[in-house]
Formats: sequence, C-alpha cells, structure tokens
Amino acid sequence: MAKTSGILDLIEAGIKAESLRQKAIAGNIANLETPGYRRIDIKFEQSLAKALNSPGKLDIGELEPQLYRPNQTPVKGNGNDVNLETEVGEMVKNTLRHKTYIRVLNKKYRQLELAIDTK
Amino acid sequence: MDGNNIFGPIDIAVSGMRAQGKNMEVISSNVAHARTTDAGRGEPYRRLEPILEAESDGISGVIVDEIVKDMSDFQTIFDPGNPQADEHGYVLMPNVNLPVEMMNLTVATRTYQANAAVLKRYQQMVETTLELLR
Repeated sequence: MAKTSGILDLIEAGIKAESLRQKAIAGNIANLETPGYRRIDIKFEQSLAKALNSPGKLDIGELEPQLYRPNQTPVKGNGNDVNLETEVGEMVKNTLRHKTYIRVLNKKYRQLELAIDTK
Repeated sequence: MDGNNIFGPIDIAVSGMRAQGKNMEVISSNVAHARTTDAGRGEPYRRLEPILEAESDGISGVIVDEIVKDMSDFQTIFDPGNPQADEHGYVLMPNVNLPVEMMNLTVATRTYQANAAVLKRYQQMVETTLELLR
C-alpha cells in the first residue's frame, strides 16, 4: 500500500517541479530584453537524486523545487543573460519530462483500475 | 558531459544554435561596418571573425571561444575629395568583403537550421519512446 502512494507522490512532486520550471522559462523569455535581468532556473532533479540515495525514510514532502539564478551564462551588453535558444531547448526538455510523468501517472491509474474492476 | 544523458542531443543542438546566433551577430556587424572609415583608433573598421571551439574532448557542444580581428590589409579607394584622403587622394576602407559576408551568412543560416532540425528530430524520437508507455 505504502508503495502505491509513494509512486503517486513522486510523480506529483515531479509534475509540480515541471510546472514551476515552465513558469520560470516563460518568465525568462518574457524578460528576453529586460536590462539587468538574470535567468531563473529550477533545482529539483539533484535534490530528488539525493533524497532517493539517502538511507532512511524518503520524505517527498521535503522535495520542494527551488528557484535559483545560475549567474554563469555570459551576459549581454545590457547585463541580461537570457538566450532564446537556451530557453527553447529547456522548454523542449521540460515538455518531454512532463509527458513522461503524465504517461507514467496514467499507467499507474490504469493499473489501479484493473485491480478495482471485478466484473 | 556525462555519458548517458537523455537530453544530451538537445543541449548540443542548442549550443550549435547559440554559436550560429553569435556568428550572425558578428556577420551583421561586419556588414553594417562595410563602409566605416573611422572605427575610433584612427583606422577603418577591422573585420571580425568568431572562433568556434568544442566544449570538451569527444561528444560535446560548441561554444564561441573568442571573436578575433581579421588582420588582412585594408582596401583603398581613390577619392581625393574625401576629407579623410591621404596626400595621394586615397582613402582607407574596411577589410570587409561583402560577397564573403553574404556567403558566411548563408552558411550560418543553414547551420542554424540544421541544428534546429536535429533538435526537432530528437524531440520526435523521444516522443516515439514515450508512445510505448501508452
């Protein structure tokens, strides 16, 4: 029983992170020409890997996606470091990740339905 | 770059698009300054050229390492009426060759398109894999 909710919790945390990242990317693209704007990214996969590798009980509730500014990418003349190609690439990756989560979630639900369905 | 990264091809294609975007910026500067006789240091505009470099050894993306100046000779035109002409009536012109720039522009555009095509095709490939999860 615990395992089922574990999978659903994991997928939920993943989808939450993807939605937040999509917002961050949209914000970055909106500020493509804003002077002094530094791009925002989401840290989630690293903390997920860390939580999965750590011994003891896995607490998904602690797995909150974190906003951060990488501040590494080269800055344009106006102090802005957003690059359209990079953001589009990030969005493609995010969409693929999102699709994966949704497919896995769908699969899980159908598994449960199969167990419930006792016609 | 780590060995087994599902998003590796996307990062590499994006790096190619970024590099060609920068290349396009350099070309537009060269074209805009094709007739700039004063670039600030008492000489005409010097043509710029981007140097592309691999991010690491082996499978990797590309980055614009630096933008260097083309040190070939300036062109001269005979224009005695020009206030910038020397005592023989010649004016130094930038070493920008417009046909060369147009050719580089075509190469940059095609390379950008190729990288975008790789990105799109790889996206379709991953979606094919995801279809198996249906």
